[in-house]
Amino acid sequence: MCVWCERYADGYERWYFNPANYARKLYKVRKEEAEALGAEANPQAAGGMALLTRDFLEAVDRKDYEVVAKMRQQVEEIAWATHFGQVVPLDDVLRVVDIIYPIALITCACRRSMLGLPNEENFTCIGMGPGMYKWERWPDTYRGGVHFLTPDEAKEIITKMNKRGLVQVLFTFGTPYIAGICNCDYPDCSAIRTTLDHGIQFLWKGHHVAVIDNELCNGCASCIHRCQFKALSFSPTQNKAYIDLFQCFGCGLCISECPQDAITLVERAKFPALANVW
Amino acid sequence: MLPTITVDDQKCTDPLSCRKCLLVCPTRVLGVGTKVGPQKFKEIDPSQFIVAGVRFERCTVCLDCVNVCPKNAIQVSL
Repeated sequence: MCVWCERYADGYERWYFNPANYARKLYKVRKEEAEALGAEANPQAAGGMALLTRDFLEAVDRKDYEVVAKMRQQVEEIAWATHFGQVVPLDDVLRVVDIIYPIALITCACRRSMLGLPNEENFTCIGMGPGMYKWERWPDTYRGGVHFLTPDEAKEIITKMNKRGLVQVLFTFGTPYIAGICNCDYPDCSAIRTTLDHGIQFLWKGHHVAVIDNELCNGCASCIHRCQFKALSFSPTQNKAYIDLFQCFGCGLCISECPQDAITLVERAKFPALANVW
Repeated sequence: MLPTITVDDQKCTDPLSCRKCLLVCPTRVLGVGTKVGPQKFKEIDPSQFIVAGVRFERCTVCLDCVNVCPKNAIQVSL
């Protein structure tokens, strides 16, 4: 079982369907904890990405696996306590939109840092909850401003981003407080890069895996470009798509492009050996 | 060995509007950020933004960023 569901689902089907994990009370706990430690409760400072330094890359480079393992563990502990994400299929995200209010479209900090993407091209991030009302305190974190959305507008925008090929990820800001829906892709999302390139688990896999029906797959390869996690490839031998189930994050993006309906999302728990692959 | 990347901030004065190096890098090694970090109630001036090497392990030392920089501000060495 997903450790976050074990700790925070409280009877709900998944931890991110539990309204308590979006509560203003948790937002305040996070803010007060940060301030007690002497820090301003700046949303950007919650991030763990900045913890990954050249020291880590040098340790990997000289194959000092003991140091690498230690640093990896330190970074993951901080990330999981403060700011990490779990990949969620579109249907689940659309349900989340009905749980929390307000919802706002904001600019993506990753793409700003990776590409210097101008604000007007960069509205791909969704912020949620009471923090959104206070965005003017941190104009740099919310460069370009915020657009408040009705739940229906949010669903439409998220569905469009999914169609465009962006993966939906729920992010905590002081675990288990969930306050962000990131719309990510490789290589411009820092969390995907850190997870795939460095094996540091900023992103947890979702509760499903995508399974191909080889009878139905006609080898058209329409799905291949949809995978942002290097789990989906094309087998010339079989003339069919191939999914590495241990690498699949269960976002479901490949499914929506399959004209044969040959791919389905199956619960991870249905496969004993995948049940704890996160 | 990891490559070393240095960017002269005196020469690179407005990376957010130039961003040529960020776009040319085939492996997204470079990042843009600020020296000061976010400040309450205050947007950071574009002149405070800097470019730096971040994901050094992906740098192929192709020197595309060095060559594209109009200010000659980037040096890459192995």
